[in-house]
Amino acid sequence: MLRRALVAAAVTLGLAAGCPARAQEARPGTEQQIREVVIGAHMPLTGSLARSGQAFDEGMRVAVRLFNETAQGLRIKLQVIDDESAPAKAVSAVEKLVSDGAVAVIGGYGSNIVGPASDAANKLATTYITAGAVSDELTARGLKTFFRINNNAGYQRGMAGLIAELKPASVSILASTKEAPALLAKGLARDIGAAGIKVTVHEFDPAISDFKPLINKVKLQDRSEILLMSAYENDYVGIIRAARVLKPPVKLVVGAWSLATPKMYTEFPDLMNNVVGTSFLPFPVAVKDEEGRRFAEAYRQAYGKDIEYLSTLSFVETTILAEAIAKAAEAGTLKSGGLPETLRATDRRTLLGPVKFDATGDNPLFSLAMGQHRSGQIVLVSPPAAATGPISYPALPW
Amino acid sequence: MRDLILQALFSGLLIGGVYALVALGLALSFGAMRIINLAHGELVLIAAYAAYVVEARGGVSPYWAIPLALAIVSVVGAVLFLMIDRIREHRELNSLILTYGVGIVLTNAVLLAFASDVRTTTAPALQDAVTLGPVYAMAGEIVAFGLSLVLMVALWWWLKRSWYGRAVRAVSSNRAAATLMGINPLRTELVAFLVAGALASFAGVALYTMSVVQPALGHALTVKAFIVTVLAGVGSIPGVFLAALLLGVTEALTVTLASSALQELAGMVLFLLVLFLLPSGLFGARARRG
Repeated sequence: MLRRALVAAAVTLGLAAGCPARAQEARPGTEQQIREVVIGAHMPLTGSLARSGQAFDEGMRVAVRLFNETAQGLRIKLQVIDDESAPAKAVSAVEKLVSDGAVAVIGGYGSNIVGPASDAANKLATTYITAGAVSDELTARGLKTFFRINNNAGYQRGMAGLIAELKPASVSILASTKEAPALLAKGLARDIGAAGIKVTVHEFDPAISDFKPLINKVKLQDRSEILLMSAYENDYVGIIRAARVLKPPVKLVVGAWSLATPKMYTEFPDLMNNVVGTSFLPFPVAVKDEEGRRFAEAYRQAYGKDIEYLSTLSFVETTILAEAIAKAAEAGTLKSGGLPETLRATDRRTLLGPVKFDATGDNPLFSLAMGQHRSGQIVLVSPPAAATGPISYPALPW
Repeated sequence: MRDLILQALFSGLLIGGVYALVALGLALSFGAMRIINLAHGELVLIAAYAAYVVEARGGVSPYWAIPLALAIVSVVGAVLFLMIDRIREHRELNSLILTYGVGIVLTNAVLLAFASDVRTTTAPALQDAVTLGPVYAMAGEIVAFGLSLVLMVALWWWLKRSWYGRAVRAVSSNRAAATLMGINPLRTELVAFLVAGALASFAGVALYTMSVVQPALGHALTVKAFIVTVLAGVGSIPGVFLAALLLGVTEALTVTLASSALQELAGMVLFLLVLFLLPSGLFGARARRG
């Protein structure tokens, strides 16, 4: 009887030792096995934000792969749930991920989704990091577990800086009424207007399919020198196409995120030439540091294409989170709530520039350059410190 | 201001033509079978992606995709019809749920096949500006409007003059009486569904040539088509065309005279006003009798 019990106990202990322990604490100073830590992520892999979600997913996976290749004694496992671009699904995803043992959650895309999802994570005392939500309201909540690496102010600085350099007499801003573009347009109007430049803002419903009546206002009423777009890819295509038909007297077309990318030029070559958008890398991609080179190479190997804006955002957030987990595990504070503090101590250069978190979890150092499509290449044209070439101005796609 | 309003009216008419093109199929299945096909926008979407494939991979004009779109959408439409036909109870409500679910499946199938990137024609001829006095349009928009007009007339003729068209109307009016008159209701409804699919095919290809398409667009198209169908009232094909033009012009004028941020609201206000004042729609059965 006793022998049986001993055998059963031995088998049980043996199995327990052999199983990967999720988020198991490291004991400093002891010899360790490779431990597996789960990072959860909710991404809009389907639904209206799927384009962004899929790019984010790719960047995350490459970041985890590269981290695991070099990490000592720790292995990150990524568990991704499709939030279907819906806030309620994102909240459920966070709850499921945390109940499955995720030590931290990487957030999805869109402030309206990230807001409730990060609230849910905070209630579960779980660290939440995002690179896909720029609303100022998110950091105003003062959540101790919330972090993000990009923000509205960074995009605003890049675009307003370019306008300040060009010194036009007037600017028309076409802005989607979705939260992030509307917020950016508001900030841009304030900054550009403060510089003594006449600004007219035209908000449009995201469901709009014909921009001609709107562009006609720019042509006949505003007569602005620069057309600014605070919107998304489908809007950019519709706006530039309508402008090509109506030919307003603008000298330059400038947009926000996801515009100055090789993909946009490949897919819409007749619409993109000379258009300017926020960027952090020129194209052909020229990464200056070892981390960037490794990422670009691994990404090309995995997906057969060059790194781009969204995948790089998620690569950076995932890498920073993984490094903080490793540090917290090493210090033995991962399970006792030490991850937010470790993350808050982050201060490093990344592909997106310096990343540092303030008390609200925001990255006050986030700033982007402006890149101009130039016959299949992207030339960084502003700010002068980041420029790889002079801007073509006046210059239009038509 | 005059030029602004003229352009708004012209743009409104052109976009209204596309709304009509998308709504004709939905109006047919609703009028003939009392089924609101909530996957209709996704059928249009499939046709639009067929146009993308033909243009991007084949390097030819997207209009060559019409036969391919007809074939694919007909097969999907027939399968959808057979699923609806299996519903035995509460057909109108259950078909609503069924087609909504099929719409989600189709959207995600498109997403899997083509990713979530935005697509549109790259043919310069379709994007060239057409100038008519003080107003401008894209060549693709003019073609889409013409196509919409032709299909509206063809559908009206088919329903009025052809044997199957009359059979569709008879089944829609009184299924039991039509059966007694020797009409096979199942076959007639299948034909109506296939014709609706054919209209969706043309709409999808036309949409691709003048607008931007992406997987999430299907649902928005269904909503727009539903608004047009209700505005028009059941049973009036020219009414669908006119209601679509009215919606297009209302939206474009709202953009010009107020703000684009209000354009969807203006459309919905128009929709609610018509529902409140004319519950049978602008050109529905009761209005026509009057």
